[in-house]
Amino acid sequence: MHIAEGFLPPAHAIGWTIAAAPFVVHGARAVVKEVRENPESTLLLGAAGAFTFVLSAIKLPSVTGSSSHPTGTGVGAILFRPPVMALLGTVVLLFQALLLAHGGLTTLGANAFSMAVVGPWAGYGTYRLARRASGNLLVGVFAGMMIADLSTYVTTSLQLALAFPDAESGFLGAAVKFLGVFAVTQVPLAVAEGFLGVLLFRVLTVNARPELERLGVLRPQPTDEATR
Amino acid sequence: MTGLAVDDAAWASTWRPRAVGDKLLLTLGLVLCALVLPVWPGSLLVGLTAVGLALGPARVPARVFGRAVRLPLAFVAVGAVTAVVQVSTDGIGWAPDAAATGGALVGHALAGGAAVMLLATTTPVSDLLPALRRARVPAAVVEVASMIYRLLFVLLISMRTIREAQTSRLGYSTARRSYRSSGLLAAAVLTRSWDRARRLQGGLAGRGMTTDLRVLPEVLPSSRSFLAGTVLGLTVLCGLTVVLS
Repeated sequence: MHIAEGFLPPAHAIGWTIAAAPFVVHGARAVVKEVRENPESTLLLGAAGAFTFVLSAIKLPSVTGSSSHPTGTGVGAILFRPPVMALLGTVVLLFQALLLAHGGLTTLGANAFSMAVVGPWAGYGTYRLARRASGNLLVGVFAGMMIADLSTYVTTSLQLALAFPDAESGFLGAAVKFLGVFAVTQVPLAVAEGFLGVLLFRVLTVNARPELERLGVLRPQPTDEATR
Repeated sequence: MTGLAVDDAAWASTWRPRAVGDKLLLTLGLVLCALVLPVWPGSLLVGLTAVGLALGPARVPARVFGRAVRLPLAFVAVGAVTAVVQVSTDGIGWAPDAAATGGALVGHALAGGAAVMLLATTTPVSDLLPALRRARVPAAVVEVASMIYRLLFVLLISMRTIREAQTSRLGYSTARRSYRSSGLLAAAVLTRSWDRARRLQGGLAGRGMTTDLRVLPEVLPSSRSFLAGTVLGLTVLCGLTVVLS
């Protein structure tokens, strides 16, 4: 759910840009450090960003009869950690604004705060908690990806409610309005994204186990030599 | 053809050889005007200017430009209607200034969207990235952004090919199959992206790449008449808005 160009008043656009900036700068520092230590990471990080962009082009059937696309921030946060996703997510949002007309330039800060900061951190935190509590990777992935999507939608609704408070009931009334209207598409989409994550990680644990081990998602399996 | 209509239009635009700084001054100026000027007549003037420049001198196909500006309309319409609905103890109704507020929201969004699309359909992202470097964004960050831009087209083609194969095998005939196919599709695209990155890295390491991927930047000369026209045009636009509003 991207806030369109020109939709937010100037003060809100500036405020959300300032709020997102420290996280994006922190992510940029993490990327600069990683690239300095391992120059080959540039290509892997580029692949991760490109995958996040392409994931938004995958259409998922929705219970409302229409189809929606996943945000991709949850899977990115689980695989590459939230600080890196703050930067990659912002770059992807910029490209989506320019290449797909999703979002905008003056609303980039607000969209980055919800999709590249809140979504990845909430999703990653939930993934860690659910995985630890259940002892199961797929339960963690489902919960993490669902919450990443849900928290993005809740944040965007609150951003809109702050910008356009209800004349009678103020911010709270506006929050209920925006949360209610967008829930029709976003809640089913969040559940769908959770299921997509489970299917994705089921395939990855079989076909891309070394990559998941290198990223720290799975523990390295003991080799025959080590067990002997 | 890159597979994204806006990017294709940017490469084919007659404004493509213009200096990025010149186009940024014009388009960001229009974006700013769309945001801060009163919707009547500011947004209308910005929208007309952006559409006129895109379809006229920049030669952007009308179908591509129209579709790109129309895309966010669903969000804008739902958001604007929600913003002007009033919730009170008496129930739900329209806010007193519903038409004016809703119209202003739609006007600002359409005008701003048209101005951003004027930039997007005349300037490929690969031309914008060196401008980020000049704006003191760290080289490593620009490098990663540049890799995202280059790889996303490869992955989009992979995704379309896999999806076509899945569709021809009835992979999307039911909701259950659609979810399964989407999961397999995402996994295949992710593993392919890693594979591509690894092979690229191997190839570049074999050619002696140690730090960053250096390429010769294309020098696009700035035009004084374009810059003067931009400043004059934006001043007239702001002046007209003040006089008419």
